[in-house]
Amino acid sequence: MTALCPSTVDELGAAIAETAATHPRLLITGNGTAEGWGAPARPADATVDTTGLTGVIRYSPADMTIAVRAGTPLAIVQQVVREHGQRVALDPARAAQDATVGGLLATADAGPLRTSHGSLRDLVIGTTVVLADGTTARSGGHVIKNVAGYDLAKLFHGSLGTLGVVAEVVLRLHPAPRAVTTVRVPASAEHGFQVATHLVTSGVEAAALEWCAGPDDRLLVRLEGTPDGVADRVREVSADGATVLTDDEACEEWSAVAATAVGEPGDTVVRFGALPAAGPAALGKIRAFADDLGLGVTISSSVPAGVHTVRVHGGAARAHSHLLAALHDDHHANVTVLRRDGLHTSSAWGPPPSAIRVMRAVKHRFDPTCRFGAGRFDGWLDDEKGLS
Amino acid sequence: MNSEPLADCVHCGFCLPTCPTYVVSGQETESPRGRIYLMDLAARGEISVDEAFGGHIDSCLGCLACVPACPSGVRYDKLIESVRPQVEREVPRGFADRLFRRLIFALFPYPNRLRLAALAGLLYTRSGLRTLLHRLGVVERLPSRLRALEALLPPVGLQALFSSVPEMTPGRGEVRLRVGLLAGCANRVFFGDVNAATVRVLAAEGCDVYVPRDNQCCGALSSHAGHEEDGAERAKATIEMFERYRLDVVVANVAGCGSALKEYGDILSGSPDFAERAKAFSAKVRDITELLAELPARTARAPLDLRVAYHDACHLANAQGVRSQPREVLRSIPGLSVHDIAEAELCCGSAGIYNLVQPDTAEELGRRKAENLQATGPDVVATANAGCLLQIRRFLDEGITVVHPVQLLDASIRGVALFATADLNAKTRERR
Amino acid sequence: MTGDVRAEFVAALGADAVLADPVELRAYECDGLTGFRVVPALVLLPRTAAAVADAVRICARERIPFVARGAGTGLSGGALPVANGVVISLQRLRSIIEVDPVNRRAVVEPGVTNLDISRAAAPHGLYFAPDPSSQQVCTIGGNIAENSGGAHCLKYGFTVHHVLSADVVLPDGTTAVLGADSPHLGGYDLLGAFIGSEGTLGIATRITVKLLPKPAAVRTLVADFPSVEQAGDAVTSIIAAGIVPAAAEMMDAVAIEAVQAALDAGYSRDTAAALIVELDGPQAEVDIQFAEVRQLCQNHGTTNIRVAGDEHERALVWKGRKAAFAAVGRISPDYIVQDGVVPRTLLATALTRIGELAAAAGLRVSNVFHAGDGNLHPLVLYSEAAGELERAEELSRAIAELCVDLGGSLSGEHGIGTDKACSMPRQFSEDDLATMALLRAAYDTDGICNPGKVLPTPRLCGEKPGVHRPHPLEAAGLIERT
Ligand SMILES: Cc1cc2nc3c(=O)[nH]c(=O)nc-3n(C[C@H](O)[C@H](O)[C@H](O)COP(=O)(O)OP(=O)(O)OC[C@H]3O[C@@H](n4cnc5c(N)ncnc54)[C@H](O)[C@@H]3O)c2cc1C
Ligand code: SF4
Ligand code: SF4
Repeated sequence: MTALCPSTVDELGAAIAETAATHPRLLITGNGTAEGWGAPARPADATVDTTGLTGVIRYSPADMTIAVRAGTPLAIVQQVVREHGQRVALDPARAAQDATVGGLLATADAGPLRTSHGSLRDLVIGTTVVLADGTTARSGGHVIKNVAGYDLAKLFHGSLGTLGVVAEVVLRLHPAPRAVTTVRVPASAEHGFQVATHLVTSGVEAAALEWCAGPDDRLLVRLEGTPDGVADRVREVSADGATVLTDDEACEEWSAVAATAVGEPGDTVVRFGALPAAGPAALGKIRAFADDLGLGVTISSSVPAGVHTVRVHGGAARAHSHLLAALHDDHHANVTVLRRDGLHTSSAWGPPPSAIRVMRAVKHRFDPTCRFGAGRFDGWLDDEKGLS
Repeated sequence: MNSEPLADCVHCGFCLPTCPTYVVSGQETESPRGRIYLMDLAARGEISVDEAFGGHIDSCLGCLACVPACPSGVRYDKLIESVRPQVEREVPRGFADRLFRRLIFALFPYPNRLRLAALAGLLYTRSGLRTLLHRLGVVERLPSRLRALEALLPPVGLQALFSSVPEMTPGRGEVRLRVGLLAGCANRVFFGDVNAATVRVLAAEGCDVYVPRDNQCCGALSSHAGHEEDGAERAKATIEMFERYRLDVVVANVAGCGSALKEYGDILSGSPDFAERAKAFSAKVRDITELLAELPARTARAPLDLRVAYHDACHLANAQGVRSQPREVLRSIPGLSVHDIAEAELCCGSAGIYNLVQPDTAEELGRRKAENLQATGPDVVATANAGCLLQIRRFLDEGITVVHPVQLLDASIRGVALFATADLNAKTRERR
Repeated sequence: MTGDVRAEFVAALGADAVLADPVELRAYECDGLTGFRVVPALVLLPRTAAAVADAVRICARERIPFVARGAGTGLSGGALPVANGVVISLQRLRSIIEVDPVNRRAVVEPGVTNLDISRAAAPHGLYFAPDPSSQQVCTIGGNIAENSGGAHCLKYGFTVHHVLSADVVLPDGTTAVLGADSPHLGGYDLLGAFIGSEGTLGIATRITVKLLPKPAAVRTLVADFPSVEQAGDAVTSIIAAGIVPAAAEMMDAVAIEAVQAALDAGYSRDTAAALIVELDGPQAEVDIQFAEVRQLCQNHGTTNIRVAGDEHERALVWKGRKAAFAAVGRISPDYIVQDGVVPRTLLATALTRIGELAAAAGLRVSNVFHAGDGNLHPLVLYSEAAGELERAEELSRAIAELCVDLGGSLSGEHGIGTDKACSMPRQFSEDDLATMALLRAAYDTDGICNPGKVLPTPRLCGEKPGVHRPHPLEAAGLIERT
């Protein structure tokens, strides 16, 4: 298949404009870490490969902002800013696989830090995108506070390559913490929810509160700050049975969290959102269901946000699909498939949200000929119509 | 109209949430900002002073909650007072409206007429006529304004109705001050108890108290409703009346009257023979709670085991800036606890004659105020204004007494057993 | 508008919800930016979300433009009516539907004030983080439309970071829920795009916001500096030290004078600049970093540091800061609030240049601003009576465009609205604006929802709106674009 490999925004715009007639259907790819997300893309006439569109455009440590080309892996950005004691407050599992910043934006991915810093939606302050006719459009800018014009970055957050190509991204940075400690508290889902809620309301300001299931059920509490401050807060957090982890132990635990989101060949990985207090019951139901179906599950939940990532392994392919269908029944449109190896026939997406008409209208306006990412939203976008 | 203060309004809206008519209606024209905007347009001649304009000016309670809320220092009090006469002059009023307004202005400023009306009211309530008419649904069919007047009739006892205080009461012990008390027209009739309590407390605290017996209204009702001339005449007469006694302090126990007295200096500033006298007079005026907070207490105070919800009367808190003093006075009573309420800045809907002329809004506000007061679980509600007293009483649950703070102080100084309000006594005894 | 349509509004909403008297309509002709005035044909005051939808449906069918209005405190003319259009006031949708302490969220109607949400949450030890200075009066609907920030958004972010979902009446009169119970949802972030869209994509009628626990510890200081520039440097050094203050706010001498006249908030009258720094969070962290902040202020030449001793003093410091805009009404008959943003490192440059522009225009400018994020609020003081309006508007525009030229933005939190729509081409190219128009058309096919705002129109700005200048970083070859 033809691959367009631009290394500048100009080249990208030109390539897309020039191929309109020859290659009407395009598939946007970065480092391919999210190929398993959503529904499979239909065959395209060419790929838009963003891995050449890399590099830092401008980094202003004193302003704590950085502009990068969208094909730059997040890990590289982290390396650059770390030298100045800063970081992008985002830790998705795919970062370790060299996921690109643009790809992470298009998948709305995030890791345990979502508890304190949200997802890329909350960190992107400007973006440049290229649309189906080659138009290059920018929104936002280089300052962290900015309400001029509509925020296109939000539309592209979670767009799975169906609206246009993210070409450049400007990020807000945060100071890298001077000290980090993780505390592990053995806890059932219910107990974990209670402990996490208590920690949130007590004002201890944990950077991450991740409940994990399989093999043991435990709550991981990550504290970040000044060395003395963290030491003090660790004492506050450590109750009966809690273990303050060494750096190595902590690293192992957080790697396990990442592994849940990535999965292994043959697995199904699903992420869903729910009301925080509904989390324990929802997870209990999934585990019971998996037991019945003879499936293995590992879970990692950002408890205060109510975002749960479930890795399903073993068992029959049909059972994976059953489990997904059950999730769709309960959590409707708020279920995203992150890895679909285990699924065969079933649709990746549940019933569309009530705002689907707006989503279709946006798709229709931005990409009227459906050049980008056909199939990724499967049933949701197939009927591509305007609002009225 | 003086347009200077109009220009001070920067249209920020900070006053909106404090304005009772806005809170109830959600309408810009029913807010201070909207009213000022309309006044401005009228001053520029962009809109005419017509019925719609007049309606939004009339509907202003004059509670002045918007004044302290304004960071830009807009003197809404001045604005509304200067626009009301214009509305009175230029807006033609319907027949019923005119009649009703005339009834009020003919009734309230004259204690004797009011006493007569109240006596009729008393007969009306005592005779069972009230109950009967209510049962028959006659009252419900009255126009809402008359219904409001009917509902306001306080449960006055005959004794209170005709109790009056002596013209001069000597202070106990070494005399500290010569104090004049404005008996107040509506107050004298409906709240004889409050005046008697005021005199007793002042005398106990070493003040000679003079209460002129002239049937003189201070003009508050007239001034606040835009009857300028009438207000000025009454002001002059009131000053003359008090000048007879060579007083150190003139005390009011009705917030509306007190704020009117304090404004005499302004109202009469253009009058050649009264400007100076009015200024000197206004400087002497204190609310009763202000004076009591200033005077170091001499008397011993017996404990009153009560939870008191304190309601800031608009004309005390907003017009006179008297907020802490009544609370201090109450807190000087051992055993008594004072509780502030939610939405404290919101008017109870009584303001002047408001509950009589805009009864629907007033009713919603009164109910809201009563709910907020009740939420603190009080034994007693205290407020320093007759209008508020009347209004709040309508909406409170039975068993919660509404009193003037000075009545509580009086009870404390005299010892609980002597306190006049029977059910309060019972309550206090029961707690012992 | 025909009498029939008016009758239909009356039938749908009730007579007391339709204002048509010419005098009453005048009161709605402007919002917090009084320089722009348009009298609407009708004002509607629906009491329920369903009534809002009914009203919009009639508008959609008749192609009548409509403008949502909250408290009318917007400073960019966002709620400016459209001639022959209707204003839909949300001031009667004011209930707090639910406060859910376990999930830390509240469900409210759009007319609820920002502060009332925090008041309702307070018994649970929670609060709503965005705190615009107008919080006691501005509505959550307006906050959503403008993506309002506040003094504390440096650490906590803006409205968009604190709203989970919104029921929205779309411009065709249908309804949709944007967002969900958790931040994870499938598909485009339509809620994120709606927030900050200045009332041009629909009307929010029911909103679920996040509530945060009150921080365990809060410490606040006011440091006086001999110059605004020195104070700006102090802020930069604090942030460079890896500290994220909850707030870092600055006021210059003129603003301090106004605030002290309005209410004695304890600011020193004889200083050129006062810097408010507030830290909050876990006690241990706050104590350590507070000491560092004091040291850094000292390193940058502070002449006096006042630490708020208790909650009362702290409240007073903030009351003074939040009353600053309105208090300026005491020292100047009229003023315009600007809202440009510059990269924080260019604060000093920007302030110097603003001073020069002001001197050239012969007008006074007072600076009150969010120093932590470079969001300036230059207040251009003038007297309309003295015929200075035009000069003031000119100066105000020049300041906003200066911010863009320095690599910043026209607006940090007040929005583009009517006021700055014609300056948009300064910050964005034609393609940028055309793409934004695509987004708008997706929500509002017929262009009836708050038309004329945000994006420049030939009617408002003339056939050829200001020419786009390349972003300075583009010019320097640092950013690329077609
Ligand atoms: C003294 C003062 C200080 C201020 N300080 C700050 C500050 O610190 N930070 C800040 O960010 N802003 C500030 N502002 C600006 C203003 O208060 C905010 O923009 C606020 O969010 C506007 O809210 P409102 O309810 O008054 O909305 P309005 O002014 O009535 O409307 C603003 C916009 O919102 C739209 N809108 C209103 N309700 C809805 C709804 N339900 N659905 C969709 N659209 C709607 C309107 O169409 C309009 O475009 C200040 C203003 C003043 C006067
Ligand atoms: S608070 Fe003052 S300046 Fe603001 S709108 Fe009200 S009266 Fe005008
Ligand atoms: S005096 Fe009271 S009712 Fe009148 S505008 Fe002010 S706050 Fe509203």
